[in-house]
Amino acid sequence: MYLQKALTKSIRTDFIVEMVQMVSGLLLVLFLWTHMVFVASILLGQSSFGALAGFMDKYELLPVTVVVLIFIFAAHIGAIMRHLPARWAEQKVAWRHAKMIRHKDTWSWLFQIVTGFGILLFAFIHIVAVTYGGISVSLSKGRIDNPGFLIFYAILLLMSEYHASVGLYRIFVKWGFVNRHRLDRVLGVVTLLMLVIGFVTLGVFLTLKVAGGGVA
Amino acid sequence: MSPRELTFHIFRYDPETPEVKPHTQTFKIPEEPAMTLFVALNKIRDEQDPTLKFDFVCRASICGSCGMLINGKASLACKTLTKDLPSDITLFPLPAFKLLGDLSVDTGTWFRDMSVRTESWIHTDKVFDETAQEEKMDDDLSLEIYEAERCIECGCCVGVCATANIRPNFIGATGINRVSRFMLDPRDKRDEQEYFEVVGNDDGIFGCVGLMACDDSCPIGVPLRGQLAYVRRKMAVAGWHRK
Ligand code: HEM
Ligand code: SF4
Ligand code: SF4
Ligand code: FES
Repeated sequence: MYLQKALTKSIRTDFIVEMVQMVSGLLLVLFLWTHMVFVASILLGQSSFGALAGFMDKYELLPVTVVVLIFIFAAHIGAIMRHLPARWAEQKVAWRHAKMIRHKDTWSWLFQIVTGFGILLFAFIHIVAVTYGGISVSLSKGRIDNPGFLIFYAILLLMSEYHASVGLYRIFVKWGFVNRHRLDRVLGVVTLLMLVIGFVTLGVFLTLKVAGGGVA
Repeated sequence: MSPRELTFHIFRYDPETPEVKPHTQTFKIPEEPAMTLFVALNKIRDEQDPTLKFDFVCRASICGSCGMLINGKASLACKTLTKDLPSDITLFPLPAFKLLGDLSVDTGTWFRDMSVRTESWIHTDKVFDETAQEEKMDDDLSLEIYEAERCIECGCCVGVCATANIRPNFIGATGINRVSRFMLDPRDKRDEQEYFEVVGNDDGIFGCVGLMACDDSCPIGVPLRGQLAYVRRKMAVAGWHRK
């Protein structure tokens, strides 16, 4: 026994933080996929997208989403910090280690850390842009027509789908719900599907002729 | 067919002579039929460099002393046949353990510390009666316990674990597997909360990030993924119940 341990009332902290990590991760995946379906509504026509954007506007859902999202992001980041090779020396060990043992899943963890921080930066810019810019067919098209923004969205899409799929994979593997290699396949397909929808959506926006504008 | 020539790239470093920086040294030997790395390393030591350090005891995958990184993959050198490897073979000692020199590491100190911290003994207040007949155990249960007991403490799963390499207190898959063995054993009277105090934290199951390098490496085939998941679920339930 150590003094600090004797003075610690709850030894449940690590467990709770692990749960926060998982639940926040799952909520973010849920958000990511819902978000994709919403944006992809443009595939059904401008009126569907416009209607959804209008609905979000009417009930002030945009600010609510942004606030909730920031909370979930904060919880996720707070929870994952404890596993990260946070110190410089640990970073070096982690990368050297992955190289030395040539192990695919170990690499995927390091890429998850990189994409996580990438998402943090990109999502911040994205959220600022839609919060202050607003969402409608013409506004969204206006952003995507800018080649800088287009590349930006493509990268954000790739990073978040990769991160989400690896994260889901690890949750299932850790808790032992399914067979490892079959899961690899299933999540690969889901991710591919999401990427295809995402890129087709971006493509549709690019070639769109705004008919009478959106709702805003 | 003439035998292949094998080229070994072997990590060299002796902590006693730190002025000689860590490096890899190359040795060439002709391959022999049914050659294991045990045979190859002894040949190199006998014929080319008597200072080369490596460990072997049983040379039959029983003692667990010959774990090393063989072309990056952790395994037992005594059970690895050179014919299953390319002709260029890179050997590194297992990471995460104290390096004694070249390919030799001290797994003993690590495992002793882990045993003490996981309290790897049957906790019971029953007084042992040597005249009484031994209590019977259900066959299926004893087989399940045996599955975990097969661990030979080679340390391969610890060496490859990213967490174990950056968190020295992490008990690794072998430690979690060890605890699962006692959880299964009806003679151990610890309840779920007592186990929670042992492994329900970041040095135990919640420190594991689930990269499964351990599961991909165990040369004995201990079902580590299943054991990790079993302990994780048990400890989640215990954590839920805890006040
Ligand atoms: C689109 C947004 C995001 C989604 C869908 C997402 C999803 C996930 C999921 C499902 C996990 C697995 C959780 C677990 O193993 O319990 C995870 C882990 C992780 N996330 Fe995220 N996340 C997102 C954003 C972020 C951000 C912004 C960061 C970093 C600043 C980040 C960093 C990480 C890291 C480093 C891990 C690995 C944690 C570990 O296993 O130790 N994520 N994420
Ligand atoms: S679990 Fe397997 S890899 Fe780990 S120490 Fe035991 S035998 Fe070696
Ligand atoms: S699954 Fe857990 S114990 Fe196994 S190598 Fe990964 S972090 Fe280590
Ligand atoms: S020498 Fe005993 S396991 Fe290899």
